[in-house]
Amino acid sequence: MLLPWEYGVRNLARRPVRTALTLVALATVVMLVFVVVGFIRGLEQSLSVSGDEDVVLVYSVNSEENIENSSIAARTPSLLTASLDGTWKRFGVAHVSPELYLGTRVKTQDDNGGLGLVRGVTRNAPLVRRGVKLIAGDWPGQGEVMVGRLASAKLGNRAEAMTIGQSVEFEGRRWMISGQFSAGGAAYESEIWCNLADFQTATKRQDLSLVAMLLASEASPAEVELFCKERIDLELRAIRETDYYATLQQHYKPVRLLAWLVVVLVSAAGVFAGLNMMYGAVAGRIREIATLQTIGFRRRAILLSLIQEGVLLAAAASLLSGLIALTMFNGMAVRFTMGAFTLRIDSVCILVGCSVGLLLGVLGTLPPAFKALRESVAISLKAI
Amino acid sequence: MKMSNWMFLSVFAFAAGCGRSSVVQESDTKVDSGSSQYLAAVEPEGALPVGEARESVKDDQAVTLVGVIGGSSEPFVDGLAAFTIVDAKVPYCSADEGCPTPWDYCCTQDQVKGNIATVKIVDDAGKPVTADARKMLNVKELSTVVVQGTARRDDQGNLTVAASKVFVRPSK
Repeated sequence: MLLPWEYGVRNLARRPVRTALTLVALATVVMLVFVVVGFIRGLEQSLSVSGDEDVVLVYSVNSEENIENSSIAARTPSLLTASLDGTWKRFGVAHVSPELYLGTRVKTQDDNGGLGLVRGVTRNAPLVRRGVKLIAGDWPGQGEVMVGRLASAKLGNRAEAMTIGQSVEFEGRRWMISGQFSAGGAAYESEIWCNLADFQTATKRQDLSLVAMLLASEASPAEVELFCKERIDLELRAIRETDYYATLQQHYKPVRLLAWLVVVLVSAAGVFAGLNMMYGAVAGRIREIATLQTIGFRRRAILLSLIQEGVLLAAAASLLSGLIALTMFNGMAVRFTMGAFTLRIDSVCILVGCSVGLLLGVLGTLPPAFKALRESVAISLKAI
Repeated sequence: MKMSNWMFLSVFAFAAGCGRSSVVQESDTKVDSGSSQYLAAVEPEGALPVGEARESVKDDQAVTLVGVIGGSSEPFVDGLAAFTIVDAKVPYCSADEGCPTPWDYCCTQDQVKGNIATVKIVDDAGKPVTADARKMLNVKELSTVVVQGTARRDDQGNLTVAASKVFVRPSK
């Protein structure tokens, strides 16, 4: 015969302080799991949505994988369009975007600033970067910039410091913010975009960092790669944009593995915390458990009732944490070396967090329950 | 069973064994069946080293080049039968140095610039073959190849060979 469902529920309410403390401990552990998994999912999402299958990046062969270190001749875009037929053209405009991209100290009116990512672009940029949307203000004119949705997070600033009409300072010049853009969660969202010629003047550079080319449907990135191999004097390399971000994914693999290790460690710590709490909870109920055995309940039924209590508490903690994570942490901007991204409390994150929570409830209850049930009924009835 | 029948069975078994052996050898080489038209059975004579060819060969000239596949960390073009070759006189890191990518000539890049050529395997229409050269020719980085084709030169001194035949020297 099983113990009534209400028995376990009422037991939780019998010791409200102990129950509340256990709930807070479990909720904290589950919350940590939500935050770490949200971090991993946000990083993965940011890199997976960055890049376009049809876009090829051409940059210096000497820069290895880092486009910020790349320097190529300013004539490269015209050379590429003249030599290759595969570039997408519309109304006679080749969809080729010459860009100067670098990490530099950016100051806002609020503080001394931080390391920001600035991209000098032409009006061709949105033709190639098809995910970029101007969500407020205007395209930057001379002496103006438009900022990504997460640019302030990348700089570690308040969002208000980078609104339209405010100004930022980099490369010895003050730039007025004319607009704000989004890019569907892609890496560009943490960047500041300005006019290419302006940026070249400010940095006293005449070269480019890269050329982004949108290819026609029948064209292949291999043709661009072959061109780069044939023109050895230009020292160029070409890579499909999605492949570039896939290499970044590989680059950040240790970080992701470390984050998963943190999930395991936090969960393990949570299990021990749960064990500690449940040992305390069960230790004070040895006589009650022995009494239940005396009046005829089997040990298995009592064990199930104790697990029910643990799981109920863990489920409540998981729900509470899930609610807080979804309302407070989902979409929160996180600064990272490559820019910024948002914590992503998605279905996978909820599944992992709640599973860990329920596991804590079961694993935390089992050892103390077994210990209490092992004692003989006669001795347990005399326990203080 | 008669003696003649035993002899017949023995010969049959021997023949079947030989046949299976040749099939295994063919599959072991992992060469694409369509590549036979581009692979030369015997090594063409009079092959020029890449460095010498860069100095003497003119545009549209028929040429036979010999070189080592390499010159960068990724000498093959993904999706096309094309790669870069470097003159064999240019040294690269030896195996005992522990360099993971000796074919990028990381320590002798200054010598590579004047001793490198691009090879693209072309079809009868002169278009690059859309296949992976590694599978098509059963080559890899640092394989020595002899290519026959037409030279393409530009004003910057770059040399590209539109190759119709490739001979792969067996590795030592």
